[in-house]
Amino acid sequence: MVFSSLAFIYGFLPLCVLLYYATKVMAIRNLTLLLFSYLFYAWGEPFWVLLLAFSSVFDYANGLLIAKFRGTWKAKGVLIGSIVVNFGMLAAFKYGGFLYDNIAYFIKLPFARPEVDLPIGISFYTFQTVSYTLDVYRNEVKAQKNFVAFMMFVSMFPQLVAGPIVRYNAVEDQLLKRDFNWDRIWSGVNRFAFGLFKKVFIANATGALVGKYLDTQLMDLTSPDAWIGIALFSIQLYFDFSGYSDMAIGLARMFGFELEENFRHPYAAISVADFYRRWHISLGRFFRDYVYIPLGGNRRMQDRNIFVVWALTGLWHGASWNFVMWGLYFGVFMLIEKYSMPVLNKTPRFIKHIYTLILIVFSRSIFYYVDFGQLQEFWRHLFYGRAALSEGMVLDLYNHCFLLALAVLLCIPWDEIFPSAEQRLQPAYKWLSLPAVIAMMLVSTVLLVGDTYNPFIYFRF
Amino acid sequence: MKASKLYTPLVFLALLAVPIAMLIGEKQSISMDEKRKLAEWPSFSWEDWTSGAYGAAIDDYFDDHLPVREVVMHWADGVKYAWGVHPVVAERKVVVKPAKREPLDTSKAGSDSARMNYLNDFDESYSGEMLIIDGAVYTQNSGNPAMSPSFAKMLNEYAEKLKGHTRVFSCVAPLSSAFIPVEKYAHLRQRNKSTLEAIRDNLQGPLFCDVMGEMLQKQNQKLFFGTDHHWTARGAYCGYVSFCKAAGFAPVKLEQMTRKVKTGFLGSLYSLTRDATVREHADTFEYFKPRIEASAVRFGESNLERPMKSSVFCESFRGSACYMTFICGDAPLIKITTGVKNGRKAAVVKNSMGNAFSVYLISHYEEIWVFDYRYSKHVMLDIIYDREIDDLIFALGMYGAMSNGTIHMMRKLGEGGVGMRPRRTESDSIQSDSLIPAPSQIPAAPNDSVIPLVPDVIDKIENDSNGE
Repeated sequence: MVFSSLAFIYGFLPLCVLLYYATKVMAIRNLTLLLFSYLFYAWGEPFWVLLLAFSSVFDYANGLLIAKFRGTWKAKGVLIGSIVVNFGMLAAFKYGGFLYDNIAYFIKLPFARPEVDLPIGISFYTFQTVSYTLDVYRNEVKAQKNFVAFMMFVSMFPQLVAGPIVRYNAVEDQLLKRDFNWDRIWSGVNRFAFGLFKKVFIANATGALVGKYLDTQLMDLTSPDAWIGIALFSIQLYFDFSGYSDMAIGLARMFGFELEENFRHPYAAISVADFYRRWHISLGRFFRDYVYIPLGGNRRMQDRNIFVVWALTGLWHGASWNFVMWGLYFGVFMLIEKYSMPVLNKTPRFIKHIYTLILIVFSRSIFYYVDFGQLQEFWRHLFYGRAALSEGMVLDLYNHCFLLALAVLLCIPWDEIFPSAEQRLQPAYKWLSLPAVIAMMLVSTVLLVGDTYNPFIYFRF
Repeated sequence: MKASKLYTPLVFLALLAVPIAMLIGEKQSISMDEKRKLAEWPSFSWEDWTSGAYGAAIDDYFDDHLPVREVVMHWADGVKYAWGVHPVVAERKVVVKPAKREPLDTSKAGSDSARMNYLNDFDESYSGEMLIIDGAVYTQNSGNPAMSPSFAKMLNEYAEKLKGHTRVFSCVAPLSSAFIPVEKYAHLRQRNKSTLEAIRDNLQGPLFCDVMGEMLQKQNQKLFFGTDHHWTARGAYCGYVSFCKAAGFAPVKLEQMTRKVKTGFLGSLYSLTRDATVREHADTFEYFKPRIEASAVRFGESNLERPMKSSVFCESFRGSACYMTFICGDAPLIKITTGVKNGRKAAVVKNSMGNAFSVYLISHYEEIWVFDYRYSKHVMLDIIYDREIDDLIFALGMYGAMSNGTIHMMRKLGEGGVGMRPRRTESDSIQSDSLIPAPSQIPAAPNDSVIPLVPDVIDKIENDSNGE
């Protein structure tokens, strides 16, 4: 099931909220949320729900065993077992075909290529459960004894299939005790409506244009069309993914959870490093805490650590050398920025912003074309294509100019530019929030009716 | 009181009101706007659940049964229009994607079959580039001269079988691409012409109606709809005049018929493009009723035992269903009986383009049998011999003559039924973008029941008939 479906908005969600708040007993509320989360996942992935259940039960037990054997080699063994099994599952389902292709390139394998569909959200929930066992082992959190609470932590539907990757310590206290707060629920409704609007009004509309230019015959693509096409994809990707995160955060608030932010106006960044402090923050934090720092961070072999982290980040996004290349591309620029810091510090902010945007927009092409041949063809048109906007593109820009202007406005970090504005606008928010929610929900519903199925881009990761 | 304490329940009550309204509101089974059947609430099966099909079917149900859905869809067009400014551009291209799901399942032909058959004519799996010129939509199909000999061969076979008994006519209509009012598309006109000429040149026995020649003389008139893939009543009149010339009849002049007009026709091409400019240029649906008394009945797929009351003109159809005015839409077999007591009888083999054509024939025949080769399993030759049919007229849109599959259906009609459509061949794929029904849209096993009309349609027909 997806958040941006009418069945979810008008069926699943209100029913879930109604039943959830029908009782004040936290254990029943948790159970309700757990059951709805499994229903949510099973809606489109009935079979893989077993994998999700296995992963949850397995790491619930691992957490308890680590706590029991704390300080002994057994705890370490359980941890290693947890990591091996979790990443083994990820490797089998996500990277099996990729590994096969690469080995078969050199030697003939005696079995056929494994053709397994990627279970939705496996990259997200695997990281969550692994981070939990690691944190228990490091004694940073206590092992969760309440089975339902732990199962709910892993499978909670607001963040199950596309993040944010929730660290256990961030919600540990909320699993068993959550206050009822009208303001929090209402702010959740606001956030959900805003995320839905971003996804349906901006991302889907931009996506239709992207497909028109980037999926068609590349031989007809002019250079400006290629640049605008890939810039539009950058807009689509941001509004699609950040829209999802907004909805996830909003939904979690409706049930009393407070999740961490996953985006902070990434297109306002002034360097690649700055960009990734603002984009998919929960993933960056995971790699920082569980890979970069254990490898030595900036104290020991920092250059190597950066490359390892970015190669893994690329691989996390997909089982393809394109994604590895995409990750290393950013690794290289991270290092360039690191060694040219004195120059960058003197460069005007505007120039740094443009430089970052160009690098990011260009990197989206590696993200978009998984096929190397297509990617090369696209680059040829990007750099050597005919230097003229096509008539169709001019017309599309006219026909979508207000939409694109709105998208650009929403990329600007108004809260950073006017830090005190939020406080000053608080009285107006009281009156404007209801009409705003109604307008966003109505417009989104109107656009969803009769629309083709349009899943979130990050579902495939 | 806190604003949040008031707003939150309000919003959730509003959300809950939607499924409640869906439950208690009037159920629609067909979207005339989109020309497709709406999703039904799925019956649960373990197999569907484990495959994810059950969940997807409920999603579809919610999508299709949202209260005031068709109004909301028009709002969506308005929202999309508001995304930007729209400079006046006389000509542009739009890419049409396939419909999100199978448009209709005729194997479950039930009370909505009459409508379904009409809708089935239109291939919702159409995808590709369409031209929008001054608010009118044109597909870029233009025929295929290489397929013409196959079509002509099938007609020749009928002419040979019916030699000395029944005359056979080829009255194939060109596509709207032949009349694009921009010179750079003249090659499409030429290709239409070449395709029809190739049919004419390969005929040995059947008489040829020069439909395109007649239409070219009237091209200052509106011959095709801008929002629908059919020809207008004036376009069909050209087909009728060309038929009369081939048959040796004097055509009845339009001025001698009763002219009627309906407004706000948004047809199949609007459904595909959902383009705001096209919506602004909704067609005026004009039609002409010969001043001849006529009545009609329709039959099921394969028997003649339980005729259902129908009409030559179903005047109550409006909006996106305007084209169903002609012979009340498609049916496997329709029998028209007229007040012309000249003993002449005709059989028409047609797709939906033939509907607008057939109504003019009531001035010349006492009895007209209209076979829809896509649905009829009747043994046409038996009827031709039994009823002493004088003229057999193949009146169809060119897209029906350009595919081995549809030619096979017309050939099979002589001995009874469409049966299964043959596999697509290479030559078929040339016309893969034509507006022919997809295999899934061809009715399945023979169904002996008469195809009943929806009750409200029957009422309307009766009212229409009374008014005639």
